[in-house]
Amino acid sequence: MRVLYTSLKYLAVVLWSTFVIAPFLWAVSTSFKDFQSVTNGATYIPWVDFEPNLEGWRALWKSPAQGGVDIVEPFFNSVFVTASGSLISIVLGTLAAYALSRFTFKAGFIRNGDITFFFISQRIMPPVVLAIPFFIMLGKFSLLDTLAGLIIVYIVLLMPIAVWIMVDFFNKVPVEIDETALIDGCNPLQAFYKVVLPNSIPGIIVAGMFCMIFGWTDFFFSFILTFTEVQLLPVAIVALNSSITPWWSLSAAALVSVAPLVLVAFIVERYLSKGNLSGALK
Amino acid sequence: MNFKHKYLFLLPGLLVLLAILIFPIGFTVRLSLSSWDSFYPALDFIGIENYVRLFTDDARFWEAFGRLSLLSVTTVFLQYVIGFGLALIVWKEIAFQRFFRVLFLIPMMTTPVIMTVIWRTFFHESLGPVNDILSHFNLAPLWLSSETLSKFTVMIVEVWQWTPFMFLLLLAGLLSLPKEPFLAASIDGAGPIRTFVYVTFPLMAPISIGAIIIRLIEASKIMDTVYVLTSGGPGTATETSSFYIFIKGLREFQFGYSAALSLTYLIIMIISFTIIAKILVKLMVRGN
Amino acid sequence: MSLIASNLSFKPGNEWHLDNVCFEMSKGQIYTILGRTLAGKTTLLKTLAGLISPDQGTLTLDDRDFGSIPVWKREVAMVYQQFINYPHLSVYENVAFPLKQRRMQSDQIKARVMKALQQVGLDGFENRKIQALSGGQQQRVALARSLVKEASVILLDEPLVNLDYKLREQLREEFRNIFSSEASKDSILIYSSTDPVEAMQLGGQILVMDEGRILQQGTSKEVYENPNCTKVAQITNDPAMNLFEGRVEAGRIILSSEIELELPQHCKRLATGSYIFGMRAAGITLNQTGFPFSVELSEISGSETFLHIRHEMIGVVGLLDSVQNFNTGEVVRVQFDTMQLYVFDQNEQLVSSPYCGLE
Repeated sequence: MRVLYTSLKYLAVVLWSTFVIAPFLWAVSTSFKDFQSVTNGATYIPWVDFEPNLEGWRALWKSPAQGGVDIVEPFFNSVFVTASGSLISIVLGTLAAYALSRFTFKAGFIRNGDITFFFISQRIMPPVVLAIPFFIMLGKFSLLDTLAGLIIVYIVLLMPIAVWIMVDFFNKVPVEIDETALIDGCNPLQAFYKVVLPNSIPGIIVAGMFCMIFGWTDFFFSFILTFTEVQLLPVAIVALNSSITPWWSLSAAALVSVAPLVLVAFIVERYLSKGNLSGALK
Repeated sequence: MNFKHKYLFLLPGLLVLLAILIFPIGFTVRLSLSSWDSFYPALDFIGIENYVRLFTDDARFWEAFGRLSLLSVTTVFLQYVIGFGLALIVWKEIAFQRFFRVLFLIPMMTTPVIMTVIWRTFFHESLGPVNDILSHFNLAPLWLSSETLSKFTVMIVEVWQWTPFMFLLLLAGLLSLPKEPFLAASIDGAGPIRTFVYVTFPLMAPISIGAIIIRLIEASKIMDTVYVLTSGGPGTATETSSFYIFIKGLREFQFGYSAALSLTYLIIMIISFTIIAKILVKLMVRGN
Repeated sequence: MSLIASNLSFKPGNEWHLDNVCFEMSKGQIYTILGRTLAGKTTLLKTLAGLISPDQGTLTLDDRDFGSIPVWKREVAMVYQQFINYPHLSVYENVAFPLKQRRMQSDQIKARVMKALQQVGLDGFENRKIQALSGGQQQRVALARSLVKEASVILLDEPLVNLDYKLREQLREEFRNIFSSEASKDSILIYSSTDPVEAMQLGGQILVMDEGRILQQGTSKEVYENPNCTKVAQITNDPAMNLFEGRVEAGRIILSSEIELELPQHCKRLATGSYIFGMRAAGITLNQTGFPFSVELSEISGSETFLHIRHEMIGVVGLLDSVQNFNTGEVVRVQFDTMQLYVFDQNEQLVSSPYCGLE
């Protein structure tokens, strides 16, 4: 019975792991192929099934005019937009979450819960619903096809995540710590940055990681709201997905764009194992 | 605590969000009452004509909605079952525990559109590895161009992408559970199955409900995957609500009509999520 | 120097957390707010600290309006029942925090922090992390932080309730020494507790609180000897004072068809009528010639036995100063020491006590 249970457990883990890794292995293999080895049918192992070359990887550094894909600029655009959007969202979201966790707000029928719901409910909105009015609004302010315009949109995308995680987090920090700081001579702002903030770093890191994940992986807004001047990484890569696809450079580009956030998986796991995540995620 | 300072904390975030959102929402409402399209790009007023058309003469919208419900409920259910299973396995002692935890998280860290581009090559009907392997059994399924199978392909990709998120929320929940109930169960001689049914599952019910709702909300927005993988095709076989609104608004430029679609869709969503949340609470917390 | 509260009221929902609270406290004294859980003790302390703004009422300290000073300028100190310190700071930094906040010079800070740590017996622990300390040590740090400010009002909200019995006894003794020392001569100490024994041991004044109201204020002796109503009698005794209804007729107390007691000397003047009688557990003892009661429960606590017994409508707890075992349902014979009898009228107000009778 026990043996059966254990072997089933390992079988499940191995099967799922294979499923998880399969597309990555395929992409790694494809990135070293050329036209010949792609169009002759599926091949897997370099040197055995096909002769590897670095064409796909070299293309990443070449300009489109030379037949390259030029993902360097989109890469840094993505980094900039994700980092700025996350930072603004975390700062504003943490402050708002602290207010919602600690103080009572009343305005007509509106209570704290309703305000929290307003923040978080922005996630229900599908990007396509906002895309058209954003398109027109950003056009009015000449912010279409700019990094600043994208950052504004990313705030709507990411602040709900920051508020969601931080409200839960602050609700678990005893309010007596803040009260003690007030009694010890801090005004509410000082109590927040001298005492609450230093003790909220795990929550902020978790919120920051989630903002980064959802910012980095977003496609639709940058797809609709940018054209030629500014291009983010996902848009640049999907643009390669045209009729005659250079699978090798596509795979190489995809691997490069996915790599940074895989590191985040290690950080998330560390927090998970230390038990910090359970405090920050309900 | 109640100090004037509370507004200093709340208002920056609230006002920024309101400032960014107030125009788009108001404008969408106004737009839905106009006939703005590429032939006649002006904000005229045609009353609820768009809504009448939507409810009486647009089977495609409702079909897309039905398809979305099927896709999201099925994938979230699969994600929940698989995610919970995996979380339970790596929660307890297992060889290479941390390695598997990291590995199981990785897909959610990757950009859906980009991975879908890879999946597209993976499921390529003549050059992809899946059909290459299946050809040894004389099979050549049309992963992307068959009406039924293409839905299934979308589901596979969605499950791959988002099971990790479910896994993360559930594992974090498991790790935060108190130890005492499990101790009590083992003293009572309960086996793994009984422990799960009477202890783990009931304790995880609130976390499960939260995780399922979050995932349903995110899954209802499914769009990127469909766009890259099948472009809603073949025909309209994988067209979801978001994708249909996208086609009407940003491909056919029927701005007025797509605004009406958007608002109707949003209202349906908010109502459905309220109902689903109530049903889930009834189903899962019934035991206690 | 004195702290005067008048008409403090706070009603956030449907229940009164503070209901017309009035008192006067003077420096160098210790005041114990004694009341059951949810009696409003914490609300009162937080109101004094400035964390809660009452709906009405005023607070004055030395004729200055104390209630309108924001909490961070109010010069109060507070110790919570949960061991609250700043987890990201060391022991030294924790205690120094309120002084740094006042922008005091660093050598002055050092002298005062060291003195405070010495007072609470934590010298040598300056560089420890808070998490590395035991519960009792954490609470000592919190106490040091409240002493170091030399605040005019020091609030202690059930500071010992989360410690184990031994440590609680030990710390209570130390607290009393610290409070009576020179250091706190200029402060008003307000200590809240649910435990009447603790309140008596701390000495000083007791304010008995229930449902947001101050029921009685007086020295521990006064409150013990003459509780002004049945609620005070219950709150200030552990186990709570036994209360039972009965009639006074023809110079006798009739509790039931079988139980009649002689009127003791201090109750001789009682008029005929119905009363509520009170008696501490110690006044109820076993005696072969006593009244028959059946045992509902017997609890052994240290070298004493608490005996829960019942006769018809009269359920009381007796205290035996030896360890004895009883079976549930067993009939025991019980005697009431009428010299220790309290009498309350139908409005639950004290009419007569062993210390203040109707002659």
